[in-house]
Amino acid sequence: MRQTMPVRLGAAEDTLIAQLKSVGADATAERITVAGLPTRRVESYHYTDLKTLLRTIPPLAQAANEASAPALRVPGAYQLMIANGVIQAASTAPAGVIVGKAHGGVLTTRDDVLVHLNGAFAKESLTLTLENSIDPVIQIDRRSEGEAAHVTDSLKVFVADGASAVILETFSGSDAAHVGNHATYIALGKGATVTHITVDLSPRAAAHFASNEYHVGEGAKLRTLAIHAGAGLSRTQLFPRYEGAGAHGDITGLNLVSDGQHADFTMDALHAVPQTTSQPLFKSIARGRGKAVVQGKLVVARDAQKTDAKLMSQGLMLSDEAEILSKPELEIYADDVVCGHGSTCGKLDEESMFYLTSRGIPKEEAETMLVRGFIEELVDPIEDEALAEALHGIIDGWLLGGK
Amino acid sequence: MADDYADIPTLKENIDRATVDSVRSLDVDKYKYGFETDIESDMAPKGLSEDTVRFISKKKNEPQWMLDWRLEAYRRFLTMTEPTWAKVHYPQIDLQDMYYYAAPKSSPAPKSLDEVDPALIAMYDKLGVPLKEREILAGVERPKVAVDAVMDSVSVVTTFREELSKVGIIFCSISEAIREYPELVQKYLASVVPVSDNYYATLNSAVFTDGSFVYIPKGVRCPMELSTYFRINEKKTGQFERTLIIAEADSYVSYLEGCTAPMRDEAQLHAAVVELVALDNAEIKYSTVQNWYPGDKDGKGGIYNFVTKRGDCRGANSKISWTQVETGSAITWKYPSCILRGDGSRGEFYSIAISNGYQQVDSGTKMLHLGKNTSSRIIAKGIAAGFSDNTYRGQVSAHAKAKNARNFTQCDSLLIGDKCGAHTVPYIESRNGTAVFEHEATTSKISDDQMFYCQQRGLSEEDAVALIVNGFVRDVLQHLPMEFMVETQKLIAISLEGSVG
Repeated sequence: MRQTMPVRLGAAEDTLIAQLKSVGADATAERITVAGLPTRRVESYHYTDLKTLLRTIPPLAQAANEASAPALRVPGAYQLMIANGVIQAASTAPAGVIVGKAHGGVLTTRDDVLVHLNGAFAKESLTLTLENSIDPVIQIDRRSEGEAAHVTDSLKVFVADGASAVILETFSGSDAAHVGNHATYIALGKGATVTHITVDLSPRAAAHFASNEYHVGEGAKLRTLAIHAGAGLSRTQLFPRYEGAGAHGDITGLNLVSDGQHADFTMDALHAVPQTTSQPLFKSIARGRGKAVVQGKLVVARDAQKTDAKLMSQGLMLSDEAEILSKPELEIYADDVVCGHGSTCGKLDEESMFYLTSRGIPKEEAETMLVRGFIEELVDPIEDEALAEALHGIIDGWLLGGK
Repeated sequence: MADDYADIPTLKENIDRATVDSVRSLDVDKYKYGFETDIESDMAPKGLSEDTVRFISKKKNEPQWMLDWRLEAYRRFLTMTEPTWAKVHYPQIDLQDMYYYAAPKSSPAPKSLDEVDPALIAMYDKLGVPLKEREILAGVERPKVAVDAVMDSVSVVTTFREELSKVGIIFCSISEAIREYPELVQKYLASVVPVSDNYYATLNSAVFTDGSFVYIPKGVRCPMELSTYFRINEKKTGQFERTLIIAEADSYVSYLEGCTAPMRDEAQLHAAVVELVALDNAEIKYSTVQNWYPGDKDGKGGIYNFVTKRGDCRGANSKISWTQVETGSAITWKYPSCILRGDGSRGEFYSIAISNGYQQVDSGTKMLHLGKNTSSRIIAKGIAAGFSDNTYRGQVSAHAKAKNARNFTQCDSLLIGDKCGAHTVPYIESRNGTAVFEHEATTSKISDDQMFYCQQRGLSEEDAVALIVNGFVRDVLQHLPMEFMVETQKLIAISLEGSVG
């Protein structure tokens, strides 16, 4: 009686299907054939309709011949580079860091098209085992070089019990319409402490997709900061799982969008066992016709009593045409919990602006001061001074960059 | 004829008896409206088809334009698929295995209450709905409430019509309105909820049977509360009612809606559409106490409540306020919304949603800011107990032209027991820089301290829970009309019966 419409496939989907078949990923190809790329009807892509936003897929990346200038240098950092999905030779690793390679992708399978695609296209992944606390910042410099390319890469990090580390990932490359699909898997042992920072500095023409999966063990502390400050279309998916009592996560993100950009944080966090805590905090600043999206979901499993989780999403609009879309979700199956979320959205506080301008500070400078104040909460907890300074540099670059 | 009513108790006796009944019902069964009334019915042939649509239209003596409108909706419906985004699970509903029209069989439409089947009046009395136009009872002056009573597919009686018509207010069943005020119906019907808005709304457009029609003329403040009482009585019957309320410029109306159904093993479908239109400076206050049969303790039976309610603040500075108390239904899928089109218009949504047993609630609101200086306020309180799932799903959006749009949202969930789930899914969409949105949500349980405090002062565990929950929902309760407030407090206690210990 009822007619069901077959999914109409676009050029991007056709290319993806051909590419998937060329690497023998028939199951994923079939999936795209049947369902197409996700539209707004797929809840987790409600505000990032890939079918409309992703019109073309460049050819699969080949090994890079040249490299562009590094987008971010942190003095004293230990650097590793993956260019066009190929792991580059590295300098001697600091004591306690074991660098290796593994076949295939790193993410746990889930019902998500980006995760499926990464798994299908990832040839090799970089693995790091951190046996003890590592002093220097570990920087993974991920590049998309040469002509526009569909780049897939992945990283897996094991952090031993009681160890601590700061891991920085940067995404950059040549000025071309790349599509990057990046995956990171980090497992924290008992009592481990990890700060994980990802900064997208891809060219404006590129589309940047990253999926970060975290396994936080007993008593482990995780802090993350993801910054979108590059690609025209960016989406970072965050999948933290709190798997041992006392596990804690400060998952944070910063969307910096200008005219015509679209940036999306989508978090799906699982509090799997009792007595875990998290405080996700996302901030979005939009100007021009920029569009910022934050979707955050806190899931508390049936037995995960005494969970304490508070999700916050704050948006700041610097223009009348900007859009900030947020969907903070709670899915709670245990009763003895304290969970909440908050979401606010508005423009700069007029009273504060008045306070500053009435004291002789020019309007633009006053704006910059207030925006810095708004962001400070995210960068402040990062202890490594050189790294914090580098991040401030990126934020200031965006703030002072053209409207 | 009048003597026939001698046996019908007065309202006071009714209240006394209701108290005794509700106390007694705690032991036996918590759902006190679960009785079935044996009234002869006139039914449509089973199943959904173009013929069913024609049958309904014919039964209602509808003009040709209405039939065409229905058939158009039916054809649209055939191309649509059921929505699956809500967090509710239920077996496939067989639309061919139910009746779309059931009417209490009575000789030509009753002209006055005296001609109405006494069994019907007795039934409504049992439900606590006064069909007789009583003004003063037991020496207490009670505010007048005009009632439109809808049983299964038809409106059986509408009270206080004459008094209302003196000030130009039209309050009648929608079937009558289609016949008598076609120009108003044609102008406003489906102007808020378009025919093909969603799967259930389209089904409703094709097969809706009755409901209320309210028209408040310019500058009139409705002198009494208007109320509709819905009751599903027949087996295997779907109820598809349609309500349309129009408030002309500078008018005001407060409207109450209540619903119950007998206890049955099989699930029954209720798919209603409610449309509100508020013109310049008009205000509509719409309150619902939804107490459909929620199914038994194992989750068998109950009403599937798939409702589309939407208000259109069409005029400048108009205001629409939704207040709902959701305690019944096996599945609730309901999002009373406000389209804030007029500059300076205001939308409000106050909700209490309680789920127990195996109930599933996915309810919330939409506040769509289109005009300048529009504001909205959402306060939603969800309480989940037993094995139930309770989801708040709400959308707040500001269009690019909605300068200075303002929203405040607070949704709190309370979990009682560790087998239930409470979820919050807000969609906050700000599409212009001058909009200011604030949203806050919390989930918690009743603290041991609160329970200890109440219990050591002599309250039983259940009384303590009821007291604390009533405190939890107070922000919403105070927005209910007086008549509903007391009933609601009682209802909350009964709904949560058996959820502790």
